Amino acid sequence: MMPAIDPREERRKKRGRAAALIGTGTILVSSVFQPGWWILGTNPRNWVLLAAGTVVGTAVAASGGRPPRGRGRGSGRVRGRGSGPAGHGRDDNDGAVGAAAHRWRLLAMVSRLMPRSAGRRWLAEAESLLSEIAPVRRAAAIRSYLLSAPLLAATMWAREVLRRARLGPRRPG
Amino acid sequence: MTLRLTVQVQLVLQALLRDPVREMYGLELSEETGLQPGTAYPILLRLEHEGWVASRWEDIDPRAEKRPARRYYRLTAGGAAAASAALAGARRPKSTALHRLAEGGGTA
Repeated sequence: MMPAIDPREERRKKRGRAAALIGTGTILVSSVFQPGWWILGTNPRNWVLLAAGTVVGTAVAASGGRPPRGRGRGSGRVRGRGSGPAGHGRDDNDGAVGAAAHRWRLLAMVSRLMPRSAGRRWLAEAESLLSEIAPVRRAAAIRSYLLSAPLLAATMWAREVLRRARLGPRRPG
Repeated sequence: MTLRLTVQVQLVLQALLRDPVREMYGLELSEETGLQPGTAYPILLRLEHEGWVASRWEDIDPRAEKRPARRYYRLTAGGAAAASAALAGARRPKSTALHRLAEGGGTA
């Protein structure tokens, strides 16, 4: 007979893993971008990186500990933009679906860290892919999107800043 | 900015080069390369930024199809040539190094 799994213990472990992973990831990414990362200075890239890392870290860490919400289609639905994974390829496991819907809300939140058009495209593509992926692979796919988001957001903003710099200052009127 | 040919980038390029005129969407690419979608997406963006890859949204009615539109990627003409050259270049040092190693081992 299988030993009983304590959900609280599982949640705590999950939260710890996510926090450790995000912490290490943020430090590594920051080091790659700026060796003296703790000196934020006036470089906007550092601030964007720090903000992105903090928000995503908090989001992923929170997703590990939050219990899945409700049951079925209604309670797991994402409000606002699109339908997310809530309406597609649902499995019979209410907990997994609730958690997936919750993570999808995190994706929508994280997409707002990116420049508007890039964030929209990222989210739309994530939604498209997650609606077709096998339910067993969905959670891992969402996690991979969340983990790659800080670096992606930093890259997008760097590109956006360069693009705006190339365009030059806005003229009044 | 030059493209860094990491193993993941090589996997994506190889998948696209298998049939350069074929369009592939994210999930297809992810399954073919074994990469997580969150890893494949930034690579595709970088390739697109470099002009190696072109992408477009699928033109469907999501309600009729009961799924959101996919984003399709394919190699551009220049991208296919550049990718082939880059992959060949990426492999060359390894085989040369192995050859040298074998020669060195034989003469020692």
